[in-house]
Amino acid sequence: MSEKKTLTIALAGNPNSGKTTIFNNITGTRQKVGNWPGVTVEKKEGLINKFGYELKIVDLPGTYSLTPFSIEEIVARNFVLEESPDVIIDIIDSSNLERSLYLATQLREIDSKVLFALNMADLASSHGTKIDAEKLSNLLDVPVVFTVGNKNEGMDILLKEAIKLAESSPDKSENRNVKYSRDIENAITKIQGLIERKAKDRINYKTRWTAIKLLEDDKIVKERFVEKAGAAGEEILEETGVLRKYLLNAFDEDPEIVMTDDRYGFIAGIIKEVQTITVKQRVDVSRNIDLVLTNRFIGFPIFIFFIWAMFQLTFTLGAYPMDWIESGVSLISSYAGSIVPESLFKDLLINGIIGGVGSVIVFLPNILILFFCIALLEDTGYMARAAFIMDKIMHLIGLHGKSFIPMLMGFGCNVPAIMATRTLESEKDRILTILITPFMSCSAKLPVYIVLAGTFFAAKAGNVIFSLYLLGIILSIISGRLFRSTLLKGIDAPFVMELPPYRVPMLRSLMIHMWDRSKMFLKRMGGVILVGSVIVWSLSAFPRNVDYSADYSAEMDRANESFNIKIAAADEKGKELLKNERIVAIAEIEKAMNAVKTEKSYMGRIGKGVSPVFEPLGIDWRGSVSLLTGFFAKEIVVSTLGVLYSTEGPGDKDALKNALRSSGMTPLSALSMMVFVLLYLPCLATIAMIRKETASFKWTAFSIIYSTSVAWIASFCVFQGGKLLGFS
Amino acid sequence: MIRTHKQEKKQFEKLFKKGNIDSFEDRFKVLEAFLQTEKHLTSAELTQILNDSGHNLDNEFVRDTLKLMCNFGFALKNRFDNGMVRYEHLHLGQHHDHMICIKCKKIVEFEEDAIENLQVNIASKHGFHLLQHKMELYGICSECLKERERLMPLSMAKQGERLVIREIMGGSGARMRLLSMGIRPEDEIEVVTNFSKGQVVIAVQSSRYVIGQGLAQKIIVEHV
Repeated sequence: MSEKKTLTIALAGNPNSGKTTIFNNITGTRQKVGNWPGVTVEKKEGLINKFGYELKIVDLPGTYSLTPFSIEEIVARNFVLEESPDVIIDIIDSSNLERSLYLATQLREIDSKVLFALNMADLASSHGTKIDAEKLSNLLDVPVVFTVGNKNEGMDILLKEAIKLAESSPDKSENRNVKYSRDIENAITKIQGLIERKAKDRINYKTRWTAIKLLEDDKIVKERFVEKAGAAGEEILEETGVLRKYLLNAFDEDPEIVMTDDRYGFIAGIIKEVQTITVKQRVDVSRNIDLVLTNRFIGFPIFIFFIWAMFQLTFTLGAYPMDWIESGVSLISSYAGSIVPESLFKDLLINGIIGGVGSVIVFLPNILILFFCIALLEDTGYMARAAFIMDKIMHLIGLHGKSFIPMLMGFGCNVPAIMATRTLESEKDRILTILITPFMSCSAKLPVYIVLAGTFFAAKAGNVIFSLYLLGIILSIISGRLFRSTLLKGIDAPFVMELPPYRVPMLRSLMIHMWDRSKMFLKRMGGVILVGSVIVWSLSAFPRNVDYSADYSAEMDRANESFNIKIAAADEKGKELLKNERIVAIAEIEKAMNAVKTEKSYMGRIGKGVSPVFEPLGIDWRGSVSLLTGFFAKEIVVSTLGVLYSTEGPGDKDALKNALRSSGMTPLSALSMMVFVLLYLPCLATIAMIRKETASFKWTAFSIIYSTSVAWIASFCVFQGGKLLGFS
Repeated sequence: MIRTHKQEKKQFEKLFKKGNIDSFEDRFKVLEAFLQTEKHLTSAELTQILNDSGHNLDNEFVRDTLKLMCNFGFALKNRFDNGMVRYEHLHLGQHHDHMICIKCKKIVEFEEDAIENLQVNIASKHGFHLLQHKMELYGICSECLKERERLMPLSMAKQGERLVIREIMGGSGARMRLLSMGIRPEDEIEVVTNFSKGQVVIAVQSSRYVIGQGLAQKIIVEHV
């Protein structure tokens, strides 16, 4: 079996051409989501065995052309150029043949083996557009396969054709490529000649393609060209500059625009041959939906409703499975308690691992539902409309509506949210969005609110939590404005975004989407949260030998004895009552002892050490230490509180509530703490993602310092201001 | 036309008499004949016309008169390609000013007493005797203007309007982006949404795009 040949097949195509659906169909669940090297554009790969080959399917980001405008397009182009896949399957959207062919002609120019998947041709033909696949295949000398992505049709033929093409001898025909205007062709030939004479052995791309890109003034290709070809490259670039100037005068237009026109001219010729349109006017459902959903008056209220519904669904529907998981966790905990002998390990297992991870895993349903909703918004095509509707508000920050998508995802989790900024074309917009996204209250912070607001604000908890979300949004807008006018001054980059057609989402794709993102949460469970919980537990469990100020065991013995005497003297009924009283009394003493123990633990010492910083915010040492542990993951704040307030067993929310109430925490200090949790430094995973995405240590450090300072100031204002106003 | 000639005759009389010019009646006949034609004439041609209408004047007299008229600013001497000297008459006094469209080259005539009086006043202030003037206003005529008004930036379009993209301006980067996304000159588009000063949603065939305000100002469209 090791004899199996591996073929790399890349899927290319316009955004919304149905590329991802085809990828999902081919690879199913055997997908590996990673990152493209150097950038955080999601890289999707799937390894499958079919027809005696091992096929590595790579889903390239959706692109309109090979002239890169966004990171995604650069990534797609680099893959095609540098990794030279065995076959590129170009997904052609049959209802938008012209634009699909624009990308296709450029792929052909690179001289890789291209196969066309004529996707959704059934839909196009029902709309009156018929495409003659055979003619198209002949005209461009490219194999063409019909596929229907959402019905899973044509996948096997597609792969078979791809294998056949990969095994065929490389074709040398250039005559099926775009012919440019004579002056342009002359210039291309001239540059090509120069490259071949002076730098051929140093350039690994096709010379004609390189010549075309140099003539188009493609910055990336130019840079790389000089890098590789050295002085000869500089010389050729200079010559190209002269040719460009000549062409600019001859056409009174930038050469790249003329070349684009030429490509479209070439495509128009093909379309005339292969496409017949029978019905001109048709009902465009998506357009009609857009008339409502992007309407200037009702679009915004509808959008707000959707977001409201999403959060409602997340938290009301999520409450049920949350209860199940909670009882499941306590079941496991008590089972483990009954079989594992009393030891340090038992303490670690039950209080550290099960307690820590258990208090976080209960939020899995919320996260699943939230990500499902976000996937639903994306797959139906509404997300792009949301970006449009939010545009005016986002302009307050000096950003385009498109930046709203990452921010919205930030309500779920900041990690994918920051990844989602990759779709923004302007570097400054990206950094600005990354800096303000952490103020979007992520779902991991919610448990903290639920516990604190639930304890101290009871019936008003919902409003308090909503206000916190609002505060986050307002602060992100203020920060955005501040950065835009100081650190990240930017010109308003030209903005254009396609609104994908509305589609009925496929359950399978929704599930894959949801799963991809929730996997990250689960991985954190096993990784950062587990480790964090163990660390928190160890810090609170050690040192083992605490110097108690009072002799608790003697106290316990005394209590025991006095109860025993009382019990002996009492009657039957009184005996039972006294026995219960004895249990309570001893538990009281144990609790006091534990409290001292925690206070004397390393955790307690750290807490005491940092508490002066948090004192002006009304947060005691236990709160301080929980906030510190929240650095690993915000959820840990809750489990740390649980450990520090010595509550029994995991998931015992009421016990924690009672402990919090009796600890001297006031509604005001709880509010102050929640504000701090909302705003302070992002969690470890997010910071790592910020570092990766900004590729800058400076911005990462700035983000951490800025958010923490804002948090401290805001909490200070809440607590001290509240005190002045007479709240407690 | 008759009114015009009366005016010119009066001036002619005034000037010629002042200059002690002889044979006024005969010279006046030359003037009349000259004014009656709008063509460019050689002196010989004018003599022929005068002879034909029964005025027996010789060519030399006619030429002298024409030269006189040139001196006084009634006529203009022109040397054309074939070397023949031709005379054309200049209207004095009552005349038309011209507005010339730089786009379609159309000439619009107009009269405005205020301008005429103003010119006379200015001239007399300088002790200058005004014989003639030439006023040409260059601009764009109403029809061409209408043509131009039909073109507008996409940002001005209203919801539901059907338009054709005429031109995309701006840097080559932004233009290439639009072109590669399938938004091109000569495409027919429909405006789906246009908030005031916000982004514009357009439909091109079966695709819909959101275009930022800045870019929308650079897309020049025209009503279908």
